[in-house]
Amino acid sequence: MTQISKSNQPQQTDISLLDFIQKSAVIGTWEYDVKKMHVTWSDETRKIHEMPQDYKPNVEAGLLFYKEGFSRNTITKLFTNSIEKHQKFDTELQIITGNGKEKWIRSIGVPIIENNECIKVQGLFQDIDEKKKNTELIAFKEEQLRNTFENALVGMAILDLNGKWLQVNRSLCKMFGYTESELKQLSFTDLTHPEDKLLGVKAMKNMVNGTIDNFETEKRYIDKNGHTIWALLSSSIVRNDKGEPQHFVAQLNDLTSAKENKNKIEELLNTTKQQNNRLLNFAHIVSHNLRSHYGNLDMLLDIIKMDLPETTENEVFPLLGQAVQHLGDTVNNLNEVATINLKRIENMKSINLLHTVEKIISSLSGQIISSDSKYCIDIDPSINVKGVPAYLDSIILNFLTNAIKYKKPNEPAKIELEAHFEENNVILNIKDYGLGINLKLHGNKLFGMYKTFHNHKDSRGLGLFITKNQIEAIGGTIEVESEVNVGTTFSLKFNKYEEN
Amino acid sequence: MKKIDITCIVDDDPIFIFGAKRMMELSNFCNSFMIFKNGKEAIDNLKPIMQSGENIPDVILLDINMPIMDGWQFLDEFTTIESHKQITIYIVSSSIDPMDINRVKRYESVSNYIVKPISIDTLKQISVDVLNS
Repeated sequence: MTQISKSNQPQQTDISLLDFIQKSAVIGTWEYDVKKMHVTWSDETRKIHEMPQDYKPNVEAGLLFYKEGFSRNTITKLFTNSIEKHQKFDTELQIITGNGKEKWIRSIGVPIIENNECIKVQGLFQDIDEKKKNTELIAFKEEQLRNTFENALVGMAILDLNGKWLQVNRSLCKMFGYTESELKQLSFTDLTHPEDKLLGVKAMKNMVNGTIDNFETEKRYIDKNGHTIWALLSSSIVRNDKGEPQHFVAQLNDLTSAKENKNKIEELLNTTKQQNNRLLNFAHIVSHNLRSHYGNLDMLLDIIKMDLPETTENEVFPLLGQAVQHLGDTVNNLNEVATINLKRIENMKSINLLHTVEKIISSLSGQIISSDSKYCIDIDPSINVKGVPAYLDSIILNFLTNAIKYKKPNEPAKIELEAHFEENNVILNIKDYGLGINLKLHGNKLFGMYKTFHNHKDSRGLGLFITKNQIEAIGGTIEVESEVNVGTTFSLKFNKYEEN
Repeated sequence: MKKIDITCIVDDDPIFIFGAKRMMELSNFCNSFMIFKNGKEAIDNLKPIMQSGENIPDVILLDINMPIMDGWQFLDEFTTIESHKQITIYIVSSSIDPMDINRVKRYESVSNYIVKPISIDTLKQISVDVLNS
């Protein structure tokens, strides 16, 4: 530009060449004659201002094109200085064109001095709007990219072809516990877990020689504190226009907590398995060892009765007999419970609910008739549940005998059985109008072992416990609603039987 | 009335052996006993007896859970021995595990599964079954 400003007589230049330069570079010229107070614009300058070719500007009008505020203030000051202080200017400012468009321009002004007085200011006027906007856009994009890199939640890095860190982001520093400068002193191999050193080495070679462009692997690293870090590494190579490898871009996803959680779950699973095994052993002890001691005691008592009948004629012997009998019952009960809990139910069958209910009722007909019990069945014959027939028998039997057993003292038992489908389940409601259970008092131990809530001669506190276990063993659930002296409704949910 | 001649008890529990023997004596179940503390001892002793053909037991009461050689192993071995006499084998066990009870069904040579404790009534039933077979 200084070259142009030296030539203070642009009029002498070949007009067509100047025009050509002006057009192709989008550069216009202008001139201000201080004495005549006359402004001249070139065609290109008018074009940049988006003004008609016959437009004749003056100083005030020229300055008014500049955007109000910073741009207009700056140009006014620079223009005044060039005349009064003989200073050149070269500045980038915004104008508002004749069509009202905002535009970045570059304005250059050079005062022409004669006898220490400014007689003219000559200048260039260039449309730099697109360039300026592109630069801004690039700067913005660069900033965006840098922010993305810097603030990404995954660890990101750029490495040279020898694996040395060129650039690392905050997440990566955080992941390894090093500062950025510390990290840049190290190569990625320094941070790799000794057992995983060879992982990815071949892939890196293949990326450099062009066989592959990227690869992904799970590998372990060691952080500053010596802890193992599990990470998912995604790495790719960046090549220049000629296809020559430039650097690697790596992304590291920290999998450590996921891995640790997985390990915790595995540990829990192991513990559960061990406990399950212990339970199986326990069931075996109940089933065999305890029973054999009980069997021996029972047998010895029989022998005493036959062998030494005189020793049985006292208060103690019958009690001893009773104690042994109770021991046997307890062992049998425990065994029943243990087998339900531990048996894995595989081949569950389709069981017709109505058929089962009718079968149980007919087996109870003696009790029902003698107690004058009333029952009402509302079960569609098409309802089949998935389960073990013996369990379903036992479940229904238990609820029906309970309903008869715990009826109100002065009126016969009344039982309602109703079933319906609910999504993939069968709901069976068994409602009685009996004594009811105080759920506030007993709710949490209703289904517990050896819990009885009524002083009934046959209560052994095992029925509901076993029933609940059997329901759960075939994938069902049980809920209860009850009110003292009103009645109880047990709501059972079973799996609906579906072919395949 | 006919009476069982020799009863063989294979069990590792001395109290059961004592009790079973006493009950058999009291109920006049058989003439004599053969007692073995585990499957191995039973096989080792029964093999020559079976071959000689003398003093072969009529009934074997076999426990399942025993050290060294258990009831199942005993059965597997015993069924390979050729016998000149009909021997009735009962499994007598404390186990009420359905797995054990079902397993017995696989052995043709076993007549029945008896859950301990045994009583005079059980012995009477065994006696009837053995003498009728």
